Amino acid sequence: MSSPKTTKAKAAKPAAKLVGAAGKPASDEGMSAKDKANFIKAMMEGLKPAAAAEPAKKVEILRKISAPVPVARKSNPTSDDALKLAAALDAKFAGGDFEALTPEATQALMAALCKLYAANMEAGDKFPVVKDRFAVTGTDAMILCGALLKAVDLQVFELGMWQSWSGV
Amino acid sequence: MAEQFIGKASEFKDGDRQIVRIGEDEIGIFRHEGEFYAYSNFCLHQGGPACEGLTIANVEERLRPDKTSMGLHFTNDMNFVCPWHGYEYDMKTGCHVKDKSVRLRKYDVVTKGNDVYVVA
Repeated sequence: MSSPKTTKAKAAKPAAKLVGAAGKPASDEGMSAKDKANFIKAMMEGLKPAAAAEPAKKVEILRKISAPVPVARKSNPTSDDALKLAAALDAKFAGGDFEALTPEATQALMAALCKLYAANMEAGDKFPVVKDRFAVTGTDAMILCGALLKAVDLQVFELGMWQSWSGV
Repeated sequence: MAEQFIGKASEFKDGDRQIVRIGEDEIGIFRHEGEFYAYSNFCLHQGGPACEGLTIANVEERLRPDKTSMGLHFTNDMNFVCPWHGYEYDMKTGCHVKDKSVRLRKYDVVTKGNDVYVVA
C-alpha cells in the first residue's frame, strides 16, 4: 500500500502534462478517465460566464432642496452705520455685557426695525429677518416674538389666525 | 452594495440637498462644508422625512465661571431636523443630538472626479 505522499505525487503527474510548462496543448496520452473528466470539467468552468453582477438599482431623484440664496442689497451710509452698531453690540454681548444699551435705546431701535421690516414685507420685498441661522437662537426668537405680541396685546392664537388668513 | 451615480459634484452647492430613491431605500444627500453626507430619509422616531427639514447649527449654553448663563449660542456643528416632530441629527455622524445611541443609517458617498456616488 502506498503512502499518501506517493499517491499525491502520482496524481499530480498527469496534471503537469496537461498544463505543460511551455504552454503546449494538453495531450490525452496517459490520461485516466478521471483526469479527462476533470479536464473537461475545468474547461467548462472556464467557459462559464462570470458570476452575474448585482443588477443596477434604479436611482430616482425625488427632490432637490437648494441652500437659501442670500439677498443682495445695495449698501448705503445708514446701513453701514447700522452694521457698525450691530457689530459693536454683538461684541459687547459676546463679552457678557448686557447693558450696552439703555432700555429706552433698545425699545427705540426695536420699534424702528420692526416697522422697517414689516414695511419691507408688505411692499413685497421679502428677505429673511436674520442673515443666517447663526444670528439668533430659537429661544431668542421666541422671547422676542412673545414680547412683541404682548406689547401690542395680541395672543399667539391671533397670530396663527392672521398668518393663516393672510398667508404671511 | 454598489456605487450608484447620484449626480455631478458641481451641481451641489454648499448647503444643497437631494433626496433620492435607490431600490427600496430613500436617501438624503447633503453637501456641507464641501463634504457629502448621506443618510436614510426615514426618521427613527416615527418614519418622517428626516433629511427634509431645517438644517440648523447646534445650540449650546455658555456659562460664566460662577455658572450664570451668558445665553444660548450656536456652535459650528450643523444638525438637520426631521420636520415632523423635531428629531435632530448630527450632520457628520447621523446621531441624534441628545442620545448618541440613536443613529440614522449612514451611506458612504464616493466622489470620482466630478461624479458623486452613493454606496447602496
